[in-house]
Amino acid sequence: MRDREIDEILKEAAQAPHDVETALLDRIAGSIGSSLRPVRPLPPAWLLVGGLVLICAAVALAGAARLGLYGIQRLSVLERALIFPALGILLWLAATAFVGEMIPGSRRRVAPGFLLVAGSLALLAVFAVLFHDYRTDRFVSQGLACLTAGLLHAIPAAFASWLLLRRGFAVNSVAAAMAAGTLAGLAGLTMLELHCPNFQALHVMLWHTAVMPLSATVGGILARRAN
Amino acid sequence: MIPDSDLQMLMARYQRGDLAAATALIHRLSPQLHRFFVVQFASRVHADDLLQETWLRIHQARHTYRAGEPVLPWLYAIARHIRVDHYRKALRAASREERLEEMPEMAAVLPAGGGRTPDLKTLLAPLPESQREVIEMLKVEGMSLEEVARATSSSVGSVKQKVHRAYEKLRERLTGMGLSTGRTGGQS
Repeated sequence: MRDREIDEILKEAAQAPHDVETALLDRIAGSIGSSLRPVRPLPPAWLLVGGLVLICAAVALAGAARLGLYGIQRLSVLERALIFPALGILLWLAATAFVGEMIPGSRRRVAPGFLLVAGSLALLAVFAVLFHDYRTDRFVSQGLACLTAGLLHAIPAAFASWLLLRRGFAVNSVAAAMAAGTLAGLAGLTMLELHCPNFQALHVMLWHTAVMPLSATVGGILARRAN
Repeated sequence: MIPDSDLQMLMARYQRGDLAAATALIHRLSPQLHRFFVVQFASRVHADDLLQETWLRIHQARHTYRAGEPVLPWLYAIARHIRVDHYRKALRAASREERLEEMPEMAAVLPAGGGRTPDLKTLLAPLPESQREVIEMLKVEGMSLEEVARATSSSVGSVKQKVHRAYEKLRERLTGMGLSTGRTGGQS
Protein backbone atom coordinates (compact mmCIF):
# COMPACT_ATOMS: atom_id res chain seq x y z
CA MET A 1 0.00 0.00 0.00
CA ARG A 2 1.38 3.40 -1.01
CA ASP A 3 1.36 6.64 0.94
CA ARG A 4 -1.17 8.20 -1.43
CA GLU A 5 -3.58 5.36 -0.78
CA ILE A 6 -3.27 5.91 2.96
CA ASP A 7 -3.87 9.65 2.35
CA GLU A 8 -7.08 8.78 0.49
CA ILE A 9 -8.29 6.47 3.23
CA LEU A 10 -7.61 9.13 5.86
CA LYS A 11 -9.36 11.77 3.75
CA GLU A 12 -12.36 9.47 3.31
CA ALA A 13 -12.52 8.75 7.02
CA ALA A 14 -12.24 12.45 7.83
CA GLN A 15 -15.09 13.39 5.51
CA ALA A 16 -17.65 11.91 7.87
CA PRO A 17 -19.46 14.93 9.35
CA HIS A 18 -18.54 15.75 12.90
CA ASP A 19 -21.08 18.04 14.45
CA VAL A 20 -21.13 19.57 17.86
CA GLU A 21 -24.44 20.33 19.57
CA THR A 22 -25.49 23.89 18.85
CA ALA A 23 -26.67 24.24 22.44
CA LEU A 24 -23.14 23.49 23.65
CA LEU A 25 -21.64 26.06 21.29
CA ASP A 26 -24.18 28.66 22.37
CA ARG A 27 -23.37 27.91 26.00
CA ILE A 28 -19.64 28.40 25.33
CA ALA A 29 -20.29 31.62 23.41
CA GLY A 30 -22.53 32.81 26.25
CA SER A 31 -19.95 32.18 28.95
CA ILE A 32 -17.23 33.89 26.92
CA GLY A 33 -19.47 36.80 26.00
CA SER A 34 -20.16 37.63 29.63
CA SER A 35 -16.47 38.44 30.25
CA LEU A 36 -15.50 39.72 26.82
CA ARG A 37 -13.37 42.84 26.94
CA PRO A 38 -10.67 44.21 24.63
CA VAL A 39 -7.23 42.86 25.46
CA ARG A 40 -3.78 44.20 24.70
CA PRO A 41 -1.82 41.60 22.70
CA LEU A 42 1.64 40.63 23.91
CA PRO A 43 4.51 42.74 22.53
CA PRO A 44 6.53 41.26 19.64
CA ALA A 45 8.78 38.34 20.57
CA TRP A 46 11.99 40.25 19.75
CA LEU A 47 11.05 42.93 22.25
CA LEU A 48 10.42 40.36 24.98
CA VAL A 49 13.70 38.57 24.20
CA GLY A 50 15.56 41.89 24.31
CA GLY A 51 13.90 42.77 27.61
CA LEU A 52 14.90 39.43 29.16
CA VAL A 53 18.52 39.77 28.02
CA LEU A 54 18.65 43.30 29.43
CA ILE A 55 17.19 42.17 32.76
CA CYS A 56 19.77 39.39 33.11
CA ALA A 57 22.65 41.64 32.06
CA ALA A 58 21.50 44.30 34.55
CA VAL A 59 21.23 41.78 37.42
CA ALA A 60 24.69 40.37 36.60
CA LEU A 61 26.29 43.82 36.32
CA ALA A 62 24.64 45.22 39.43
CA GLY A 63 25.58 42.13 41.46
CA ALA A 64 29.18 42.13 40.26
CA ALA A 65 29.51 45.88 40.82
CA ARG A 66 28.26 45.47 44.38
CA LEU A 67 30.66 42.56 45.10
CA GLY A 68 33.57 44.03 43.11
CA LEU A 69 34.50 43.64 39.44
CA TYR A 70 37.68 41.68 40.25
CA GLY A 71 37.13 38.93 37.71
CA ILE A 72 36.82 41.01 34.57
CA GLN A 73 39.79 43.16 35.67
CA ARG A 74 42.04 40.09 35.83
CA LEU A 75 40.79 38.47 32.61
CA SER A 76 42.94 38.89 29.50
CA VAL A 77 41.49 40.39 26.32
CA LEU A 78 41.28 36.92 24.71
CA GLU A 79 39.50 35.50 27.75
CA ARG A 80 37.01 38.36 27.75
CA ALA A 81 36.52 38.03 24.01
CA LEU A 82 35.64 34.35 24.34
CA ILE A 83 33.71 34.19 27.62
CA PHE A 84 31.34 37.13 27.34
CA PRO A 85 30.20 36.63 23.72
CA ALA A 86 29.57 32.95 24.59
CA LEU A 87 27.49 34.00 27.60
CA GLY A 88 25.70 36.60 25.44
CA ILE A 89 24.75 34.02 22.82
CA LEU A 90 23.53 31.61 25.47
CA LEU A 91 21.53 34.38 27.16
CA TRP A 92 19.88 35.24 23.87
CA LEU A 93 19.10 31.56 23.14
CA ALA A 94 17.69 30.99 26.63
CA ALA A 95 15.58 34.16 26.40
CA THR A 96 14.28 33.04 22.97
CA ALA A 97 13.43 29.60 24.37
CA PHE A 98 11.65 31.11 27.38
CA VAL A 99 9.59 33.50 25.24
CA GLY A 100 8.74 30.62 22.88
CA GLU A 101 7.53 28.49 25.78
CA MET A 102 5.30 31.31 27.05
CA ILE A 103 3.54 31.95 23.73
CA PRO A 104 1.44 29.02 22.46
CA GLY A 105 2.16 27.93 18.90
CA SER A 106 5.57 29.60 18.73
CA ARG A 107 8.29 28.20 16.51
CA ARG A 108 10.59 26.17 18.76
CA ARG A 109 14.13 27.02 17.74
CA VAL A 110 15.77 25.14 20.59
CA ALA A 111 14.30 22.82 23.22
CA PRO A 112 15.02 23.96 26.81
CA GLY A 113 16.53 20.58 27.76
CA PHE A 114 18.84 20.58 24.75
CA LEU A 115 19.83 24.18 25.39
CA LEU A 116 20.74 23.35 28.97
CA VAL A 117 22.94 20.39 28.05
CA ALA A 118 24.52 21.99 24.98
CA GLY A 119 25.01 25.31 26.80
CA SER A 120 26.70 23.67 29.78
CA LEU A 121 29.00 21.67 27.49
CA ALA A 122 29.84 24.77 25.43
CA LEU A 123 30.78 26.73 28.55
CA LEU A 124 32.84 23.82 29.89
CA ALA A 125 34.70 23.73 26.57
CA VAL A 126 35.37 27.50 26.65
CA PHE A 127 36.63 27.31 30.25
CA ALA A 128 38.73 24.22 29.50
CA VAL A 129 40.40 26.01 26.57
CA LEU A 130 41.10 29.20 28.55
CA PHE A 131 42.07 28.08 32.05
CA HIS A 132 44.94 25.67 32.72
CA ASP A 133 45.64 26.14 36.40
CA TYR A 134 44.58 22.79 37.84
CA ARG A 135 45.34 23.54 41.50
CA THR A 136 42.45 23.09 43.88
CA ASP A 137 43.20 25.48 46.77
CA ARG A 138 40.18 25.84 49.10
CA PHE A 139 38.22 24.07 46.40
CA VAL A 140 35.04 23.37 48.34
CA SER A 141 34.81 26.50 50.51
CA GLN A 142 35.50 28.93 47.63
CA GLY A 143 33.37 26.85 45.30
CA LEU A 144 30.37 26.84 47.60
CA ALA A 145 30.69 30.60 48.08
CA CYS A 146 30.63 31.14 44.29
CA LEU A 147 27.78 28.66 43.76
CA THR A 148 25.70 30.35 46.46
CA ALA A 149 26.39 33.84 45.09
CA GLY A 150 25.50 32.70 41.56
CA LEU A 151 22.26 31.10 42.66
CA LEU A 152 21.34 34.08 44.82
CA HIS A 153 21.67 36.33 41.77
CA ALA A 154 19.63 33.90 39.69
CA ILE A 155 16.64 34.47 41.99
CA PRO A 156 16.07 38.19 41.18
CA ALA A 157 16.78 37.49 37.50
CA ALA A 158 14.14 34.74 37.49
CA PHE A 159 11.66 36.92 39.34
CA ALA A 160 12.13 39.92 37.02
CA SER A 161 11.94 37.65 33.95
CA TRP A 162 8.73 36.14 35.22
CA LEU A 163 7.33 39.65 35.79
CA LEU A 164 8.09 40.57 32.19
CA LEU A 165 6.40 37.42 30.85
CA ARG A 166 3.65 37.09 33.46
CA ARG A 167 0.97 37.62 30.79
CA GLY A 168 2.25 34.67 28.78
CA PHE A 169 0.65 31.25 28.76
CA ALA A 170 2.87 28.20 29.19
CA VAL A 171 1.47 25.11 27.49
CA ASN A 172 4.31 23.10 29.04
CA SER A 173 5.04 24.66 32.40
CA VAL A 174 8.02 22.39 33.18
CA ALA A 175 9.76 23.29 29.91
CA ALA A 176 8.97 26.98 30.46
CA ALA A 177 10.35 26.87 34.01
CA MET A 178 13.47 25.07 32.83
CA ALA A 179 14.04 27.73 30.19
CA ALA A 180 13.50 30.46 32.79
CA GLY A 181 15.87 28.67 35.19
CA THR A 182 18.53 28.39 32.49
CA LEU A 183 18.20 32.09 31.73
CA ALA A 184 18.35 33.08 35.40
CA GLY A 185 21.28 30.72 35.97
CA LEU A 186 23.12 32.41 33.12
CA ALA A 187 22.60 35.77 34.84
CA GLY A 188 24.20 34.31 37.99
CA LEU A 189 27.03 32.78 35.97
CA THR A 190 27.70 36.07 34.18
CA MET A 191 27.87 37.82 37.54
CA LEU A 192 30.48 35.27 38.70
CA GLU A 193 32.61 35.79 35.57
CA LEU A 194 32.57 39.53 36.20
CA HIS A 195 33.29 39.20 39.90
CA CYS A 196 35.28 36.04 40.74
CA PRO A 197 39.09 36.38 40.43
CA ASN A 198 39.68 32.64 41.01
CA PHE A 199 40.69 31.24 37.60
CA GLN A 200 41.58 27.73 38.70
CA ALA A 201 40.19 25.55 35.92
CA LEU A 202 38.29 23.09 38.10
CA HIS A 203 36.80 25.86 40.22
CA VAL A 204 35.40 27.70 37.19
CA MET A 205 34.35 24.54 35.35
CA LEU A 206 32.53 22.97 38.28
CA TRP A 207 31.25 25.68 40.60
CA HIS A 208 30.56 28.46 38.09
CA THR A 209 29.05 26.29 35.38
CA ALA A 210 26.91 24.42 37.93
CA VAL A 211 24.83 27.55 38.57
CA MET A 212 23.03 27.16 35.22
CA PRO A 213 21.94 23.48 35.44
CA LEU A 214 21.10 23.83 39.14
CA SER A 215 18.94 26.87 38.53
CA ALA A 216 17.18 25.13 35.60
CA THR A 217 16.62 22.01 37.69
CA VAL A 218 15.12 24.00 40.54
CA GLY A 219 12.81 25.72 38.04
CA GLY A 220 11.73 22.39 36.55
CA ILE A 221 11.12 20.83 39.98
CA LEU A 222 9.08 23.80 41.19
CA ALA A 223 6.91 23.71 38.06
CA ARG A 224 6.40 19.96 38.35
CA ARG A 225 5.33 20.33 41.98
CA ALA A 226 2.95 23.15 41.05
CA ASN A 227 1.29 20.86 38.50
CA MET B 1 -11.11 24.08 5.59
CA ILE B 2 -11.26 27.71 6.75
CA PRO B 3 -8.58 30.05 5.26
CA ASP B 4 -6.15 31.14 7.96
CA SER B 5 -6.45 34.78 6.89
CA ASP B 6 -10.15 34.69 7.89
CA LEU B 7 -9.24 33.19 11.23
CA GLN B 8 -6.53 35.80 11.78
CA MET B 9 -9.03 38.57 11.08
CA LEU B 10 -11.56 37.02 13.47
CA MET B 11 -8.87 36.62 16.16
CA ALA B 12 -7.89 40.28 15.83
CA ARG B 13 -11.55 41.29 16.25
CA TYR B 14 -11.96 38.86 19.18
CA GLN B 15 -8.97 40.52 20.88
CA ARG B 16 -10.71 43.88 20.40
CA GLY B 17 -13.75 42.53 22.26
CA ASP B 18 -16.03 41.76 19.30
CA LEU B 19 -18.61 39.19 20.44
CA ALA B 20 -19.70 38.35 16.89
CA ALA B 21 -16.11 37.42 16.01
CA ALA B 22 -15.78 35.29 19.16
CA THR B 23 -19.04 33.48 18.35
CA ALA B 24 -17.96 32.95 14.73
CA LEU B 25 -14.66 31.46 15.88
CA ILE B 26 -16.42 29.14 18.32
CA HIS B 27 -18.85 27.90 15.68
CA ARG B 28 -16.21 27.49 12.98
CA LEU B 29 -13.44 25.87 14.99
CA SER B 30 -15.31 23.79 17.56
CA PRO B 31 -16.14 20.83 15.27
CA GLN B 32 -12.48 20.22 14.45
CA LEU B 33 -11.39 20.73 18.05
CA HIS B 34 -14.11 18.35 19.21
CA ARG B 35 -12.98 15.75 16.68
CA PHE B 36 -9.39 16.25 17.87
CA PHE B 37 -10.49 15.27 21.39
CA VAL B 38 -12.73 12.39 20.27
CA VAL B 39 -9.93 10.90 18.15
CA GLN B 40 -7.60 11.12 21.15
CA PHE B 41 -9.81 8.54 22.86
CA ALA B 42 -12.11 10.84 24.74
CA SER B 43 -15.77 9.92 24.79
CA ARG B 44 -18.20 12.47 23.31
CA VAL B 45 -19.14 13.60 26.81
CA HIS B 46 -15.48 14.04 27.74
CA ALA B 47 -14.84 15.78 24.44
CA ASP B 48 -17.67 18.22 25.23
CA ASP B 49 -16.04 19.01 28.59
CA LEU B 50 -12.61 19.37 27.02
CA LEU B 51 -14.02 21.64 24.32
CA GLN B 52 -15.58 23.94 26.92
CA GLU B 53 -12.39 23.98 28.95
CA THR B 54 -10.33 24.72 25.84
CA TRP B 55 -12.46 27.72 24.90
CA LEU B 56 -12.28 29.00 28.43
CA ARG B 57 -8.47 28.75 28.32
CA ILE B 58 -8.38 30.29 24.83
CA HIS B 59 -10.43 33.15 26.21
CA GLN B 60 -8.03 33.66 29.13
CA ALA B 61 -4.98 33.46 26.86
CA ARG B 62 -6.37 35.33 23.83
CA HIS B 63 -3.90 38.18 24.32
CA THR B 64 -1.03 35.73 23.63
CA TYR B 65 -2.11 35.39 20.00
CA ARG B 66 0.01 37.71 17.89
CA ALA B 67 -1.43 39.35 14.78
CA GLY B 68 -0.13 37.88 11.54
CA GLU B 69 0.78 34.52 13.07
CA PRO B 70 -1.13 31.38 11.99
CA VAL B 71 -4.13 30.76 14.25
CA LEU B 72 -4.35 26.96 14.16
CA PRO B 73 -0.95 26.19 15.76
CA TRP B 74 -1.78 28.61 18.59
CA LEU B 75 -5.20 27.05 19.04
CA TYR B 76 -4.01 23.44 18.90
CA ALA B 77 -1.13 24.15 21.28
CA ILE B 78 -3.71 25.21 23.87
CA ALA B 79 -6.02 22.28 23.03
CA ARG B 80 -3.11 19.85 23.44
CA HIS B 81 -2.30 21.41 26.80
CA ILE B 82 -5.89 20.83 27.96
CA ARG B 83 -5.82 17.24 26.68
CA VAL B 84 -2.50 16.45 28.38
CA ASP B 85 -3.74 18.06 31.58
CA HIS B 86 -6.93 16.02 31.42
CA TYR B 87 -4.97 12.85 30.68
CA ARG B 88 -2.65 13.49 33.63
CA LYS B 89 -5.59 14.05 35.98
CA ALA B 90 -7.33 10.91 34.68
CA LEU B 91 -4.14 8.93 35.17
CA ARG B 92 -3.84 10.19 38.75
CA ALA B 93 -7.46 9.28 39.44
CA ALA B 94 -7.00 5.88 37.78
CA SER B 95 -3.92 5.13 39.86
CA ARG B 96 -5.96 5.80 42.97
CA GLU B 97 -8.88 3.67 41.85
CA GLU B 98 -7.37 0.82 39.88
CA ARG B 99 -4.05 -0.48 38.69
CA LEU B 100 -2.95 0.84 35.29
CA GLU B 101 -2.43 -2.68 33.98
CA GLU B 102 -6.16 -3.22 34.20
CA MET B 103 -6.93 -0.34 31.81
CA PRO B 104 -8.23 -1.41 28.37
CA GLU B 105 -5.70 -1.94 25.61
CA MET B 106 -6.15 0.77 22.98
CA ALA B 107 -4.65 -1.13 20.07
CA ALA B 108 -7.38 -3.74 20.32
CA VAL B 109 -10.00 -1.29 19.00
CA LEU B 110 -9.22 -1.70 15.29
CA PRO B 111 -11.32 -4.50 13.76
CA ALA B 112 -9.61 -6.94 11.43
CA GLY B 113 -10.85 -7.85 7.94
CA GLY B 114 -13.58 -6.25 5.81
CA GLY B 115 -13.19 -3.67 3.05
CA ARG B 116 -15.15 -0.71 4.45
CA THR B 117 -13.18 2.38 5.52
CA PRO B 118 -13.37 2.59 9.33
CA ASP B 119 -14.10 5.90 11.00
CA LEU B 120 -11.18 8.17 11.84
CA LYS B 121 -11.06 7.27 15.52
CA THR B 122 -10.89 3.55 14.74
CA LEU B 123 -8.41 4.08 11.95
CA LEU B 124 -5.96 6.00 14.12
CA ALA B 125 -6.54 3.89 17.24
CA PRO B 126 -3.45 1.67 16.88
CA LEU B 127 -1.12 4.67 16.73
CA PRO B 128 0.62 6.09 19.79
CA GLU B 129 -0.83 9.40 20.97
CA SER B 130 2.03 11.52 19.61
CA GLN B 131 1.67 10.04 16.10
CA ARG B 132 -2.12 10.17 16.19
CA GLU B 133 -2.25 13.90 16.91
CA VAL B 134 0.31 14.68 14.24
CA ILE B 135 -1.58 12.66 11.60
CA GLU B 136 -4.84 14.31 12.58
CA MET B 137 -3.48 17.84 12.36
CA LEU B 138 -1.55 17.22 9.15
CA LYS B 139 -3.81 14.93 7.14
CA VAL B 140 -7.25 15.68 8.52
CA GLU B 141 -7.13 19.35 9.45
CA GLY B 142 -4.79 20.19 6.57
CA MET B 143 -2.17 22.01 8.63
CA SER B 144 1.34 22.35 7.20
CA LEU B 145 4.39 20.59 8.67
CA GLU B 146 5.58 23.92 10.07
CA GLU B 147 2.21 24.56 11.71
CA VAL B 148 2.09 21.08 13.26
CA ALA B 149 5.63 21.56 14.56
CA ARG B 150 4.55 24.84 16.19
CA ALA B 151 1.42 23.29 17.70
CA THR B 152 3.34 20.37 19.17
CA SER B 153 6.40 22.40 20.27
CA SER B 154 8.69 20.26 18.16
CA SER B 155 10.76 20.53 15.01
CA VAL B 156 9.63 19.90 11.44
CA GLY B 157 12.06 16.97 11.31
CA SER B 158 10.46 15.39 14.35
CA VAL B 159 6.98 15.80 12.83
CA LYS B 160 8.16 14.17 9.58
CA GLN B 161 9.60 11.28 11.55
CA LYS B 162 6.34 10.75 13.44
CA VAL B 163 4.34 10.83 10.19
CA HIS B 164 6.69 8.31 8.62
CA ARG B 165 6.37 5.94 11.58
CA ALA B 166 2.59 6.40 11.70
CA TYR B 167 2.32 5.58 7.99
CA GLU B 168 4.38 2.43 8.48
CA LYS B 169 1.96 1.29 11.17
CA LEU B 170 -1.13 2.31 9.20
CA ARG B 171 0.18 0.53 6.10
CA GLU B 172 0.62 -2.66 8.06
CA ARG B 173 -2.85 -2.45 9.59
CA LEU B 174 -4.69 -1.37 6.46
CA THR B 175 -3.04 -4.02 4.34
CA GLY B 176 -4.16 -6.56 6.95
CA MET B 177 -7.70 -5.22 6.66
CA GLY B 178 -7.65 -5.49 2.86
CA LEU B 179 -8.40 -1.81 2.36
CA SER B 180 -5.90 -1.20 -0.45
CA THR B 181 -7.89 -3.08 -3.11
CA GLY B 182 -9.16 -0.90 -5.92
CA ARG B 183 -7.22 2.19 -4.85
CA THR B 184 -4.52 3.71 -6.99
CA GLY B 185 -1.76 6.24 -6.52
CA GLY B 186 1.97 6.65 -6.05
CA GLN B 187 4.39 7.12 -3.21
CA SER B 188 4.04 10.67 -1.91
